[in-house]
Amino acid sequence: MNPLEMTRRHFFSRTSKGIGVAALSSLLNRDAQASGGLPGLPHFAPKAKRVIYLFQHGAPSQLDLFDYKPGLTKARGKDLPESVRMGQRLTGMTAYQATFPTAPSVFKFEPRGQSGMVLSELLPHLSKVADEITLMRSLHTDAINHDPAVTFFQTGFQLAGRPSIGSWIAYGLGTLSEDLPAFVVMVSQGKGNAQALADRQWSSGFLPSKYAGVKFRAGGDPVLYLSDPDGYERAARRRFLDDLGKLNDLKLADQQDPEISTRIAQYEMAFRMQASVPELTDLSKEPERVFEMYGPDSRKPGSYAANCILARRLAERGVRFIQLFHRGWDQHNNLPRDIRLQCEQTDQPSAALIQDLKQRGMLEDTVIVWGGEFGRTVYSQGTLTEDNYGRDHHPRCFAMWAAGGGFKPGTTYGETDDFSYNIARDPMDVHDLHATVLHCLGVDHLRLTYKFQGRHYRLTDIQGRVIRDLLS
Amino acid sequence: MMRLFLLLLLAIPGWAERVVEFNRDVRPILSDNCFGCHGPDATAKKIPLRLDSEAAAKSDLGGRRAIVEGDAASSVLIKRITTEQKGLRMPPLASGHTLTAEQIGTLKLWIGQGAKWQKHWAFLAPVKPALPKVKDAKWPVNALDYFILDRLEREGLRPSPEASKETLIRRVSIDLTGLPATPAEVDAFLNDNSAEAYERVVDRLLASSRYGERMAIRWLDGARYADTNGYQFDGERTMWRWRDWVIQAFNSNMRFDRFTLEQIAGDMLPGATMYQKIATGFNRNHRGNTEDGIIPEEYAVEYVVDRLETTSAMFMGMTLGCARCHNHKYDPITQKEFYQVFAYFNNVPESGRAMKYGNSPPLVAAPTPDQQAALAALDAKIAAEDAVIARHSKEAHKARVAWEAKLRSGETVNWAPEVMLDASFPGDVPVGTEKADAAQFDIEDRFSFSGWFLADCSDCSLLSRMSESAKAKGFGLHLVGGKLAPQVINVWETDATKTEAETPLELNRWHHIAWTYDGSKMAVGHTLYVDGKPVALKTGQDNLYRPFRNAGAVYKQPFRVGAGAGKDMRFRGQIKDVRSYSRVLTAEEVESLAVGLPLNRIAAKPEAQRTPAERRQMDWYFLDHAAPEATRKAWARQVVLRQDRERLERTFPSSMVMAESAAPKSTFLLARGQYDKPGEKVEPGVPASLPPLPSGAPNNRLGFGQWLVDASNPLTARVTMNRYWQGVFGVGLVKTVEDFGLQGEWPSHPELLDWLAIEFREGGWDLKAMLKQMVMSAAYRQSSKASPELLGRDPENRLLARGPRFRMPAEMVRDSALHAAGLLTARIGGPSVKPYQPEGLWKELIMQDMEYVQSKGDDLYRRSLYTFWKRTVAPPMMANFDSALREACTVRENRTNTPLQALNLMNDVTFVEAARFVGQRMMKEGGVEPEARLRYGFRLATGRAPSAKEAEVLRANLQFHLDYFAGKPDRVTAYLKQGETPSDGSLNPRELASYASVASLLLNLDEAITKE
Repeated sequence: MNPLEMTRRHFFSRTSKGIGVAALSSLLNRDAQASGGLPGLPHFAPKAKRVIYLFQHGAPSQLDLFDYKPGLTKARGKDLPESVRMGQRLTGMTAYQATFPTAPSVFKFEPRGQSGMVLSELLPHLSKVADEITLMRSLHTDAINHDPAVTFFQTGFQLAGRPSIGSWIAYGLGTLSEDLPAFVVMVSQGKGNAQALADRQWSSGFLPSKYAGVKFRAGGDPVLYLSDPDGYERAARRRFLDDLGKLNDLKLADQQDPEISTRIAQYEMAFRMQASVPELTDLSKEPERVFEMYGPDSRKPGSYAANCILARRLAERGVRFIQLFHRGWDQHNNLPRDIRLQCEQTDQPSAALIQDLKQRGMLEDTVIVWGGEFGRTVYSQGTLTEDNYGRDHHPRCFAMWAAGGGFKPGTTYGETDDFSYNIARDPMDVHDLHATVLHCLGVDHLRLTYKFQGRHYRLTDIQGRVIRDLLS
Repeated sequence: MMRLFLLLLLAIPGWAERVVEFNRDVRPILSDNCFGCHGPDATAKKIPLRLDSEAAAKSDLGGRRAIVEGDAASSVLIKRITTEQKGLRMPPLASGHTLTAEQIGTLKLWIGQGAKWQKHWAFLAPVKPALPKVKDAKWPVNALDYFILDRLEREGLRPSPEASKETLIRRVSIDLTGLPATPAEVDAFLNDNSAEAYERVVDRLLASSRYGERMAIRWLDGARYADTNGYQFDGERTMWRWRDWVIQAFNSNMRFDRFTLEQIAGDMLPGATMYQKIATGFNRNHRGNTEDGIIPEEYAVEYVVDRLETTSAMFMGMTLGCARCHNHKYDPITQKEFYQVFAYFNNVPESGRAMKYGNSPPLVAAPTPDQQAALAALDAKIAAEDAVIARHSKEAHKARVAWEAKLRSGETVNWAPEVMLDASFPGDVPVGTEKADAAQFDIEDRFSFSGWFLADCSDCSLLSRMSESAKAKGFGLHLVGGKLAPQVINVWETDATKTEAETPLELNRWHHIAWTYDGSKMAVGHTLYVDGKPVALKTGQDNLYRPFRNAGAVYKQPFRVGAGAGKDMRFRGQIKDVRSYSRVLTAEEVESLAVGLPLNRIAAKPEAQRTPAERRQMDWYFLDHAAPEATRKAWARQVVLRQDRERLERTFPSSMVMAESAAPKSTFLLARGQYDKPGEKVEPGVPASLPPLPSGAPNNRLGFGQWLVDASNPLTARVTMNRYWQGVFGVGLVKTVEDFGLQGEWPSHPELLDWLAIEFREGGWDLKAMLKQMVMSAAYRQSSKASPELLGRDPENRLLARGPRFRMPAEMVRDSALHAAGLLTARIGGPSVKPYQPEGLWKELIMQDMEYVQSKGDDLYRRSLYTFWKRTVAPPMMANFDSALREACTVRENRTNTPLQALNLMNDVTFVEAARFVGQRMMKEGGVEPEARLRYGFRLATGRAPSAKEAEVLRANLQFHLDYFAGKPDRVTAYLKQGETPSDGSLNPRELASYASVASLLLNLDEAITKE
């Protein structure tokens, strides 16, 4: 049931007096997708019920976190060979650099867990749960700048206007919650160079706007306009809604417009949200060990760590698609310093979320996705020194990880060349990732479509394949 | 929608014997399910069967025919869609499409009936239909009603009775002005029992200036109007002059063909006015990317595509964008034709990278009417001072003779302009002189420099405000390879405007050199003078887009003479008399500065031997310093006036416009739509499936505009009428208002659509007249009450057996609350405003230096179409209520019903404050008794009086709140303090809080936010 729309039950209770059966069935058909996702979905038995997508906004460096290239030490400071670059396009920020000095990571890598997954020292906590995750090292994208690249990840297309992945899932599958939206977004601020983000990254595009992501905020109301005005207490609001319901009911009896009945239901839902959202966002009852697990930041409202706890709470309450955006990964310069700060904020909470869900038996039906919008260059942007370098945008290859919900744990997928510049084995693109995540939810990406401007659109545009090797 | 259609069909007894019509019944099935492979793009994909053309679909493909007329059983098409063999069954599983039994039945029936083909209806010229004969001849009010009633009678339905007068005036007021009728307007209508009462209301509303605002709201959605650039950084732009032009055009009822043509190609009309140029902003409202590191060529293509998609959706109801990467899957538009239309919009002198702040060229200065008046007034005053000077010319002449005589015998006197002098360095200026507070200009400032230079270096800096390093940041006048080079540089390779004189400077001799820059951020903004004469410049690089200041941080560099841009660029030679101005010096001023003779030496020359520059210099100095008092004062006043004029001009908003490049750009077919994969060169042209350009029309954007509104064009009038029908009746006659192509929906009333289109065109594209017909119709005036049967039969009200009932669009939800509160500001147009918005919404998403600074006073209560629209963080109330997001053209109206809307109406300070003022009006204007006050409030919110039952609920609710607030002054104070406008202090606060609470209830009523 999608609480953002009227409930079917409520509809029956309000209108069974006045409307014939034929009318009812057509009204329900008309709004069939509204109450609980599309008929016929999921297309097949799902592994996962929900997704938590930890978007690392600004693009973390695969070279310093996931893609170990020991051979680069020898190439240090040398110009990136033309045989590797092959004239591929660069951003306007480094296209004019006189040289492209190879910058090996200053961080140490080691095999972790039973699977021996090689991870950077920047990720000590993730390293402890390496056997739970699926590392994808061979992603690539078409976009070379932030906005189009994030838009591509969010909507399957580089230009704004299409529905975001969370909206597609809300539209297709509905929500499992009685009093929360199907798609929730939270944003946290990193310590590094932050790029702008936009509300449209979780918009519903051409899908009805009820499928848009609802942003939960740390300051002020967690959901916009959630709190009653000062001086207006719950008892007054209750009475207000009772009388509003009475007046709207009188109108409904006169007018017979089912929209009125929907509106009555939405006001009741709003009232429930006024209670359920503060309860949800109030972490005071979480036990001490939870804060310990998620790390010191987790007591700070609005931090990535606190949002990770909230993500788990939202998952527990049936939200379908929970998306965190953590800003600040755009390390064009001072990368060694800044990436350490970003990892300090994100490593422990991300790993804790895996453990936490596992302990609660929810990891198996929750897909966690972690990653940015593209990778970063092996050559230094700006001057390479002994302990400092920057990295420009790199769409040709980058790494992400996923966990739970049908992903094969302890797996490393794909390989890049010696410079982490091109993909050497098992390339996968953004559409493939989308198709695979939808597959975990029991959705055939080819068949989740919406007709707009004469065309049947889908999240994966005209591409996408399910990467079965990623799945158990 | 097909489902509804079949449902309706099934409801008609004996539908199986019906005559199948290809356009209505068959093509939608083929198009939606088959054309993806067997459509216009089939040939390119080497699929032999095409079902989009009759000849191909019925042709013999090696002994087998897909369609055998009259023989469904032999038709391979039917065999393949009905076969049980999974591998052969069409459409294939992987396509995601399946045919229903009804659809298969329709196809069989159609082939059985002879498989008659029709050309797609929307590409055929509309034919004016005769009015259908109806049984109930009394019901129709005007022509529209015959078509509506004809369909109803065929469906066995009856129209609904006329709506009550209260309902009707509220409905029509919302539709034509976006605001509900006030109680006084309702009363006037109720008291007018004449037959013309309703028509009088309609005429009043159409004449109201609110009408233009109402119409503009939806036009802005279609034109993706916004106050920022979009994409990542999303900096501010100024397009409200275009927005105001739209309002004005609607209000003056500009012919819609003119309205179209001016927006498409106003700049190319003979003697184009400022307003005609502003109109072309329609095609500049697209997003602009300023992200560091983008490849501008990539976005230059996106902008043209956006223009194409917007123009085709708005005027043609087509989705040409689908043919960008390949031939259109459904519509007869080839990829080549896409790029031919692309070529019309590709000739703009623009960059793919937008300016980080402000408007991106091409631009036009767009003074408001007030500013135009102020300018004219200043010009008149300037002229008046000229007259004063002329009046005193005789005495001035006498004084002049005496002054010159004195000059000749006196000391050396030099002349130089003093107005807006920023800094001056008289006499010899040592190389490397620095001044920290001089020439602190940024890239949008106007400035000029003048000085005498004797250069003994061919790569060196004459003057600059630049870092002391190679590839420096800042601006400077250099010698590069012996040529003078004015430069404004942010990032050497990617963010600079660099120009260079075409010929080298003669070294080792004195030259007067001046450089002016007009703040345009473009190479054309530089003017260079050597020895008083402008010299030709060539552009080296022209991609400046970011100011020197960054994220609010000041760029600190001193002004340097003979230095800057690194040690290697140090000047060698001599420098004298350097001056910096914060304005653009005129050519005359520069010429006079370059004279090089002091005034006493000029005075020594006989009048006839003086050059014009010398004469001017003498005149100016005389007027400044030596003329008789009357003349000197008039001149001094005029100098001030001219400064005022310059200052005024600098406040003129600009507006982005379309323009044609001097050297036409070539257009290439782009493989897979990618900017870096150009293929065949194409010439501009319109698609072959539509009529050709009208004879005599030029084959350019102007011709394209003329083609759009030509009588032969089957689309524009239909598409336009359909969109306004949607605005009034809630759903278009063609529901897919953006798609009249093969995938678009069959019209509910095809003849009516054609009738409207022809009436519109033949009646002089008179939009007000057409809207009047719509709202005068009996169909429109019906009650919107629905019987259960009718709801079941026609839930979307496509047949119009009842009047329209819809939740109002976002803008009108807010505007009508402010209107009921008496807070709404009446002012039309002007810069966008920033009403209440929850704290921090921008900050949590955007980059460092853009802040939401809330407006003050009556700007908090402007109509919502004036709300500042930041693309990346849209106004939250607008987004909650399904507003178009203004990223790209949106023409379909969308309505959802969500709890976020409920929270918004209950708790947003906008609505809490509005409720407080509705409460105040109830107390002050509603009478003394609670009943009367409640009744008044109910009327303010809904336009009608409450029923007895409703009044009872309200009375109880008021009592509840009186009790709730009783003895709780803190509660009362807290509740009443929300919003910036204080209440009337003479009212009892507890009562006011109680009435405000009831008012909030009223503003939350379904009816209060609904057009009924």
